Amino acid sequence: MARVGVFIGQFHSDSRIAFDSLASYAANLRAVEKVRLLGLRPKVDVKSLAEEIRREQLDRIVIAGDSPGYFKPAFTRALELAGGDPGEVRLASFREHGAGAAEVTDRAKAVLACAVHGVPYPLVAVPKPTVVHPATLIVGGGVAGIQTALEIADAGKKVYLVERTGTIGGHMAMFDKTFPTLDCAACILTPKMVAVHDHEMIELLTNSEVIGVNGSPGAFKVKVRKRARRVDVSACIACNACTEICPISVWSEFDSQLTHRKAIYIPFPQAVPNAYLVDPEACAWVQSGGTRCGVCVKKCPKECINLDEQDQTVEIEVGNIVLATGYDLLDAARIERYGYGKYPNVLTSLEFERMTNAAGPTGGKIVTKIKQKNRRLKVEEWVADPQGPPPKSVAIIHCVGSRDTNYNPYCSRVCCMYSLKFAHLVREKLPDATCYEFYIDMRAFGKGYEEFMERIKAEGAHVVRGRTAQVIEADGALVVKGEDIVQDRLVQYPVDLVILAVGLVPATGTAELAKVLGVPRDPDGFFSELNYNGDPTYTERGGIYVAGMCQGPKDIPDTVAQASAVAAGVLRSISTGGMGNLDSLALSEIEERAAKMQVRER
Amino acid sequence: MAIRVNPKLINELETYGAADVQNCYHCGNCSAACPFSKEPFLIPRRSMRHLQMGLEEKLKGTLEPWLCYYCGECSQQCPRGAEPGETMMSLRRWLTSRYDLTGVARLFYRSWKAELVALILVSLATMVGFLTMGFGFGHGSLDVYAGAGALFPDHLVHLLDLGLAGLLAAVLLTNAIRMWWLTTGRNRGLHISLWSYVKNAFLLPYHFLTQARYSQCEKKAPWLTHLAIFGSWVTMEVLVILLLERFHHQETIWAVHVFGYLATIGLLGGTTYALVGRLRKRETHYKHTHPTDWMFLILIAGAAFTGIVQHASYRWFGLDSVANIAYVIHMMFVVPLLAVQIPFSKLSHLAFRPLAMYLAAVHADALADVRVGVAQTEPARLAA
Repeated sequence: MARVGVFIGQFHSDSRIAFDSLASYAANLRAVEKVRLLGLRPKVDVKSLAEEIRREQLDRIVIAGDSPGYFKPAFTRALELAGGDPGEVRLASFREHGAGAAEVTDRAKAVLACAVHGVPYPLVAVPKPTVVHPATLIVGGGVAGIQTALEIADAGKKVYLVERTGTIGGHMAMFDKTFPTLDCAACILTPKMVAVHDHEMIELLTNSEVIGVNGSPGAFKVKVRKRARRVDVSACIACNACTEICPISVWSEFDSQLTHRKAIYIPFPQAVPNAYLVDPEACAWVQSGGTRCGVCVKKCPKECINLDEQDQTVEIEVGNIVLATGYDLLDAARIERYGYGKYPNVLTSLEFERMTNAAGPTGGKIVTKIKQKNRRLKVEEWVADPQGPPPKSVAIIHCVGSRDTNYNPYCSRVCCMYSLKFAHLVREKLPDATCYEFYIDMRAFGKGYEEFMERIKAEGAHVVRGRTAQVIEADGALVVKGEDIVQDRLVQYPVDLVILAVGLVPATGTAELAKVLGVPRDPDGFFSELNYNGDPTYTERGGIYVAGMCQGPKDIPDTVAQASAVAAGVLRSISTGGMGNLDSLALSEIEERAAKMQVRER
Repeated sequence: MAIRVNPKLINELETYGAADVQNCYHCGNCSAACPFSKEPFLIPRRSMRHLQMGLEEKLKGTLEPWLCYYCGECSQQCPRGAEPGETMMSLRRWLTSRYDLTGVARLFYRSWKAELVALILVSLATMVGFLTMGFGFGHGSLDVYAGAGALFPDHLVHLLDLGLAGLLAAVLLTNAIRMWWLTTGRNRGLHISLWSYVKNAFLLPYHFLTQARYSQCEKKAPWLTHLAIFGSWVTMEVLVILLLERFHHQETIWAVHVFGYLATIGLLGGTTYALVGRLRKRETHYKHTHPTDWMFLILIAGAAFTGIVQHASYRWFGLDSVANIAYVIHMMFVVPLLAVQIPFSKLSHLAFRPLAMYLAAVHADALADVRVGVAQTEPARLAA
């Protein structure tokens, strides 16, 4: 039997591992002949080490600690000098194997025991395979949910995609262009959306919400409430006859409240499923209990409208759950000094996205809002109309509510880049318009982003370093007040349109969902990943994964990458039966299994 | 001239009450939000920057902290919690200690214990002095408050008042001259005409008496509180120094007493409002209270209260002996307030504030080629 020497490095004074207990544990392990604590500031001398190894006749060295690899070269050389096999230097890395949890010392002991026995820790410590239900639930039908769904379904596994609104696509479907390539967002997204719809392995549950989860990782029972769509999806041919006749209009969510939609509507022409739905809050028939209106039912050529349809609750069985619930914008009206909600021509970023979208309410024209009479409510409203006058100057304000201890302390990560994109779109569509960008720090961190920023600057946008303090109205125009830090002077520019790059917050309902699923959240409200660097797609709950913005602000490329990575974890879990993260067994069990494996190895 | 950097400047300022200066990431929100920020004086971010960079000489020569009245708008809007308003306040304390050549102001601002000891010592000295005067030289009686045979004869007290006033004026004048030198005199880049000095001279009494600039803050209550305390205090000084003998006249002279009563109400009301505000900490400018602020307010409130006791016992109840004792205690509040706080501490701003407004106008004249007011033009395009 090999004679093993264990060298334990503490490396950090703040470690919660009980090192004395660890050392005596190591000394009692079979085959361990020598245990030495290296101390807080170890000095490793190869010659004296070799001497020590020769004296103790050691065949195998185990270096334990948070970053034991640091000493591997010295020990390898020492072992070689002493005439041993240099391949017999093993590392027991506590941090790598998650000895940061509550039972740190036990975890450290297990890691150490595995290294002494010469078997890989993950091989020993992963719990016994359980039977995992092959279906997967994905919560949220934005680009993250769509990507994960396609990856998993393309691998031949069943996917349930639950989406709260009437169509999948999420925020990305609202965008016109993506940064930094200025690709058409719809050209990337809509084929994927259609693929989801047509996929035989994907069951789409739009207008639905997860309301309860039972069971354990591998065998979840999920309750989903399917809100009544009141239109038969399979029969609807999207002829628009119902919308034309519907007398009720309300603000359109998909068009960011820039224009109206009817009570029976389709969010946008490319919606998936490509069918209409009824807003029960607005529909006169539903609100009156079936006594008023109901004209759409008579008008429908396919007779597919049933205004009395009721909500249903369905229960589905899945093995894994992927959270891709996305984000919302911070309520810009909270930051009163920017005048959102007070001045009609102060827009949020999403409102501008819709305005500049060729399929949006203005047909892609950038305009200032004009007053229109709402005939039903008999009030004057500010509406983005294609007939509205185009702005001569536009101010884009970064970091609205982001990096601000009063609102969101964190950076929302995408605003700098989409704001630059806005500047490009403004200058592209209105070449004579002046465009100001107010920023604090320009965060152009991704591939091609820095170059994109330089390009926008070269195109002639005025980039002002300095956060804006105020938007006021003077002589019928908006005035943006700020300080130009670089030029050390105060500035105020009269503009026709102000776009606020509003910070991002977790989607509404994130807290409730976290409670239902038992998934922890960050102080900022986003779902917590298991390990920021090592396991960014897992959560503390086995079998539940996160993808996209619901884990923290990120751009589309990162979202899609994470969504694909999630699929890998889900598929691995389905095919091996192992459940997500390395949920450790008890120490005694690990010892037993490690000893057994070692016997088999020898 | 080489620029010297003092890397420990922030640490030094922290001993004057500044905190979180390093949090600032220079977004410029504060300067844009400040109602007083006008070129060439960009308040408060420029000073924050100089402070972070340790540019001690530049800060010594700046007028900007004196142009801030701490309405708190900058601190409220600050996205980093860097407290620019409080930094301006601390800079004013630091500058006061720079203008003072003796180093006493520095000691008092950095150690409240030192200032408290000084206040107590001056207070005790005042007591000893008055007792010596009363029983030693005056041959007076404890039972007589005014007129012949009074314990503290009017002419002696009057002499003391004038002497103290003269001394304080001399100290303040030296400090004011030093302020002028640091901010203006030594600055070779400024070419100031004599006419500019003459033309703007009216600003000195104007700002001294009205604190008009303070009234431009969005919130008016702090200005009114300040004006109440200041106006009452000046009224009292005028009454006591110039009209003391009339004050102690046996007959009640309403022309004098009406002002006296009004001033007392102003002092008590103003200090109570400020003390309550500082205890409740609801408003931004009351959130941080330096020990010197407490001492200042407590001394004024104490002086006002003992003044009332003295007045009431003499005028209303005819208790001359009580009035004499109350008077000594009253002076034990008043003399330390004047002798310590005017030359070396918070109260010195009564000279520096108006002087700063005056010098700011003079500077603005000299920098006429730098646009005053807010720029309306577009920024130069950044090179691609």
